[in-house]
Amino acid sequence: MSIENNNIETSEKTDITPKADIKKSDKVEMTPVLGKKSLSKEAKRANRNLMVRRGINTFLRYFVLILVGAIMIYPLIWMVGAAFKNNSEIFSSMNPIPIKGTLDGFKNAVKSYGGNINIWKSMLNTYSYVIPQVILTVVSSVLTAYGFARFKFVGHDILFGLMMAMLFLPQVVLNVPQYMLFNKFGWVGSEHYLPLIVPAAFATETYFIFMLIQFLRGVPKELEESAQIDGCNVFQILIKIIVPMIMPAVVSCALFKFMWASNDFIGPLLYVKTPAKYPATIFVKLSMDSDAGFDWNRVLATSLISIMPNILVFFAAQNQFIEGISAGGVKG
Amino acid sequence: MKKKFLSAFLATAMLATSLTGCGEEKKETTEATTAATTEAAAGDTTAAPADDAAAYDECTITFDWWGGDSRHEATQAAVEAFEAKYPGINVEINFGAWSDWETAKATEYLSGNNPDVQQTNFDWIGKYDADGTTYLDLNTVSDVLDLTQYDEATLAKCVDSKGGQAGVPVSVTGRTFYWNEATFEAAGLSVPTNLDELMAAGPVFKDKLGDNYYPLVIGEYDRAILVAFYLQAQTGKPIIDENNQLTVTQDDLKKGLEFIKSLEDAHVIPTIPYLDGEGADSMDKSQRFINGEYAGIFEWDSSPAKYVSALGDNGDDLVVGNVFPELQSYSKVSLMFSISADTEHPRECAMLLNYLLNDPEGAAIMASERGIPESKAAYEVVNAAGKINPLSAQAHEEVMNSNPLYWNPLFDSSKLKGDTSTYTTVFEQFSYGMDAAGSSYDLDKAAADLYNGYMDALAQ
Repeated sequence: MSIENNNIETSEKTDITPKADIKKSDKVEMTPVLGKKSLSKEAKRANRNLMVRRGINTFLRYFVLILVGAIMIYPLIWMVGAAFKNNSEIFSSMNPIPIKGTLDGFKNAVKSYGGNINIWKSMLNTYSYVIPQVILTVVSSVLTAYGFARFKFVGHDILFGLMMAMLFLPQVVLNVPQYMLFNKFGWVGSEHYLPLIVPAAFATETYFIFMLIQFLRGVPKELEESAQIDGCNVFQILIKIIVPMIMPAVVSCALFKFMWASNDFIGPLLYVKTPAKYPATIFVKLSMDSDAGFDWNRVLATSLISIMPNILVFFAAQNQFIEGISAGGVKG
Repeated sequence: MKKKFLSAFLATAMLATSLTGCGEEKKETTEATTAATTEAAAGDTTAAPADDAAAYDECTITFDWWGGDSRHEATQAAVEAFEAKYPGINVEINFGAWSDWETAKATEYLSGNNPDVQQTNFDWIGKYDADGTTYLDLNTVSDVLDLTQYDEATLAKCVDSKGGQAGVPVSVTGRTFYWNEATFEAAGLSVPTNLDELMAAGPVFKDKLGDNYYPLVIGEYDRAILVAFYLQAQTGKPIIDENNQLTVTQDDLKKGLEFIKSLEDAHVIPTIPYLDGEGADSMDKSQRFINGEYAGIFEWDSSPAKYVSALGDNGDDLVVGNVFPELQSYSKVSLMFSISADTEHPRECAMLLNYLLNDPEGAAIMASERGIPESKAAYEVVNAAGKINPLSAQAHEEVMNSNPLYWNPLFDSSKLKGDTSTYTTVFEQFSYGMDAAGSSYDLDKAAADLYNGYMDALAQ
């Protein structure tokens, strides 16, 4: 957000002069413009008025931005504060700053469950299937998108239609049949998270394929043709020409997948059957017993620790990510 | 090109399948030497058939449960103690939180790969064991698992359609009132012990403490239970009986709804619009409850801990009330342990259950993590060790003193209980006085909808 603000601000500053000229001529139309040498008193006053108005303008703009920004970020700040509060304080005050601070939440968050699983291990577990998932998803989606966008083959239109129809198929519907299939394979409870990782190799994220195809439409075919003349085969064209051109979109896909996969709860719940293999999403919830009650600060502290890598990854790739999304929107 | 990739992927997938297929063959059964195990079981005195328990196979059994921190810890410790006592039996455990746990279990039941031993919910018998083939009839292992520690009547509740003992009732729970004594004192009242006193407290609260003070707070589902309690007191029969029949008429339900309305009118309970104004989904998250503005709740005997913790420094203010004589309570099996009918080691599974539920050693570790134990042997041990939450124990006593009736799990059918199901919509619209479309919603409509909701759920 702050980057954008700065951009707006600098662009405002650069066009101060032309705008001021227009405004000045508007305001001071009664008196003839005499040139810079002999600015009349009126013109000076008008200039001052203009500065004041500009100041107010900036103030208002920042006021609104800060206000809205504060509202947007409040839940996150509240979450950080609440991790240091006890249950009764969490639900009785909106104030994000804890009055009777306690570190119990964090102390309990790093506690292990009978030596089986602790937060660090669970985070490691998460990334041990998230990273292969991301890689496989990106590779398979790029290949599929390339196929659909650049090659005409028998059944192209029907297959494309079917693939687009998959966009509207909710995951819930797939849970049971998939589970039964993977159970037949003997993958349920697999140590290597096979039911979570393997489907990613088959371009199951329709949305990414769609997004990449839209991107590919913006890549001029002439580039590929000239590459062909230079002796590239189709695979080399993909690697050397297409992928670098659509890099922002690929990064977006990877980031989306990274976030979705590391937030996935129901997948691991269905397929991971040993506590030692639990990922962070399940670990965070382990202590939540709605009947007997539980310490919210522990849950919040665990959540806070476990979202850190995601936040870091997001900020590290923020520029590419935003570029990818907005470019996708424009070209689509 | 694409075809090549596809075939490569398929080949990899197949390879992976065959690899894991080999790795799965973990469950091995080896004959144990009886000599070594007789000694191990010699210390076991509770279970009558202790001597027979001496013989067991070395094996791996799987066991899972849901719950919170302390339950996870206690159960893991108990399982470790079991493994130490019966060397050779390896228990693979799995545990999680309740949310979505049933989703995962439902898929397991569908595919038939549910664990050998499971903590099960009472209504799962009807849902997943309708034909009696999911859970083992525990009578077949009663030589190892001592069922005599349980009341016949309680055991009878956990029977499947074929008459098999589908689960052991770990604990029984019911609802009673809890009062915030400090608020009642501020109003110059003692906590109510019958309906008249409660009704009289409403206006006093309003006058002395202010409009925002109420002697009791109940949400939609609580209202449904209170209506059931109210009507059961009049008919003397469970609202849904053992034969899945509704024992009340639409007119009866109307009386029940009128009763709820009278509570709202007398400023005894806040209206649903007032509750929605705060938006807390349960009272332990309500600022008004934490501040003492709501001076009473109607809750399970197993739940006071979370309300005490919510009140923070004022936790001592919460006291247990009785079930009013004008109401007729019910009790239900809060959860059970079951053994899978497909298990290869029923005997060892039963040994595990017996250790966790009836053995003084195991029961002491399990304490009251799953409610106050129904097993007499376990209750003695746990009670003697002072491991029962006193508030919970008192509430449980109140529930049991009220001669609770039978409770049919269909009362909690997903058609009735749930965010968009009958109880929520009827009590919400009735309290708002209008339906979702904005037209008026009166007593007759509410009674008709509630009645039809019951009929619909029972027709399943």
